[in-house]
Amino acid sequence: MSDIAIEVQDLVKIFRRKNHEPIEAVSGLSFRVLRGEIYGLLGPNGAGKTTTIKILTTLLAPTSGAARVMGHDVVAEPLAVRRQTCVVLQENAIELYLSVRNNFCTFGRFHGLRVQEIERSLDRLSELFGLRDYLNEKGMDLSGGLRRRVQVAKTFMVDKPVVFLDEATTGMDAFNKRTTLEAIKEESRKGRTIVLTTHLLEEAEELCDSVAIMNHGTIIARGSVEDVKSMGLRLLYLSLSLERISDDVVQAIRHRQPLNVEIKNNTVEVTVREAALALDILAAVRETGHLRHFEITSASLEDVFVQLVDREGSAG
Amino acid sequence: MREVLAVVYREYLIRRTSPTWLFFDLAVPLLYLLMFGVAFDRALGQGLQVNGETIAYNAFFLSGVLSMSCFGSGMNQSYGFFVDRDNGIFYEFLTYPMTRGQFLLGKILFQCSMAVVQCLITIATGTLLLHIAIRWQFLLLVLVGMTIGTAGWFFFLAIIAFRIRRNDTYNTVINVTYFVLMFLSSTFYPLDRVPAWLSALAWLNPLTWHTDVLRFLTIGIGTLSTVFVEVIGFSLFLVLSFWFAVRTLQRAA
Repeated sequence: MSDIAIEVQDLVKIFRRKNHEPIEAVSGLSFRVLRGEIYGLLGPNGAGKTTTIKILTTLLAPTSGAARVMGHDVVAEPLAVRRQTCVVLQENAIELYLSVRNNFCTFGRFHGLRVQEIERSLDRLSELFGLRDYLNEKGMDLSGGLRRRVQVAKTFMVDKPVVFLDEATTGMDAFNKRTTLEAIKEESRKGRTIVLTTHLLEEAEELCDSVAIMNHGTIIARGSVEDVKSMGLRLLYLSLSLERISDDVVQAIRHRQPLNVEIKNNTVEVTVREAALALDILAAVRETGHLRHFEITSASLEDVFVQLVDREGSAG
Repeated sequence: MREVLAVVYREYLIRRTSPTWLFFDLAVPLLYLLMFGVAFDRALGQGLQVNGETIAYNAFFLSGVLSMSCFGSGMNQSYGFFVDRDNGIFYEFLTYPMTRGQFLLGKILFQCSMAVVQCLITIATGTLLLHIAIRWQFLLLVLVGMTIGTAGWFFFLAIIAFRIRRNDTYNTVINVTYFVLMFLSSTFYPLDRVPAWLSALAWLNPLTWHTDVLRFLTIGIGTLSTVFVEVIGFSLFLVLSFWFAVRTLQRAA
């Protein structure tokens, strides 16, 4: 059995409309997702993430290239692919005329669950996602956040090897977002492969084993979260909290030519590229005798994401 | 089969919670027969001359009502795609482990069972209240005709529903189509009494073929040879519509 759950090779999707220029939403995309991995597709709006998910879930046919899910070609064997996957689409998808209970029942039946299995799952998931009080409410009477909760919760009814989550936590409150993230981690621990897109990079940082940053339909960075973070400018942020900010302090910092200095009340935020410089500045400020507290942090995934996408934009 | 039955179950749940749709499915043809049919029957007085025979307008119109109700059922079911698209659930369905054909077959299986119930109610009312003499020996074939008719129109209208994105555009197109097809057919009047151009166009209309077959089966009007050709014509229409509907659905996302 291959270790690869998803394999995408030179994938291209061009949208053509009458009287409009063709739009190349995905251009020559290639990546692999290992079994049991949580893989994040990140990128700004219009980067091609949702189009990629739609191709992998057999909703869209690619213009060229190939994609295989659990060894099945998405074009030649769409049904086999759908049997191995379940999806939370970006759009809200809920039966508005049916109760929450019947939303679960219909989903379960479509995925071949027996009545007892549906009841068991319903019991577990309504508890986990806080839906017990809403089981008899119709979809049309639920708030947007609750509808999304139902949509995500029902995905966890079935035991498919690959799960696609396209902006799954959009519109959820903090509590439900936490529940969903925990559920995703739990499913991954069971060996399920999860591909997610999100614009919330702290979410990706928390969940993903690997990420790919997409822009203009192609991948501009990929690897583990740590790998991708290291592809940024390797910036370090030094935060210095002082009793008072004197000219001596400011001069001592600026003299060492950091990348950026920002002063807010009694705090100085300094951006540097090397750890040695950060320590040198720290030592210099300490000598002034006004230092109360300091903190050194590396760049977050979000910082790197912004840098990479900006760099791409400038290059393009 | 499990996949098809899952679609049927879902359609049943939706219809059960929506009395308006249920009313449309079951009662509208009956109202046509009892209001429009009865009024015309009285207005014409002596009945209609068809193929040298005089028959009551109610009897003539019964098959028109049945074929119209098949069209209406197909229209109603295909409109459901817009509702599903607005709810977002349409695209999720397309990711479920079933083929596009199974999805369409499930929908039509449910709608055909509704059409059969609708047909039985309409025929029972026509017989009991309007004293229409039905050829009971062909009742089973009438039900088969209703099933095929509903399926044919559903697949045809589904193609339009998949191709049009806007609800209001769909409504306009379908209403115009319904109007033109209905009056360019043998639904309301015998075609040997209308202008030649209208008659010629009506013979190209699948609604005419379907109505004529049902008329032959219910009250025995028409010739076997003509009806045979019309059965073949409508069957081709059904197969082509299904094929195009599946193709269009495959490209619907």
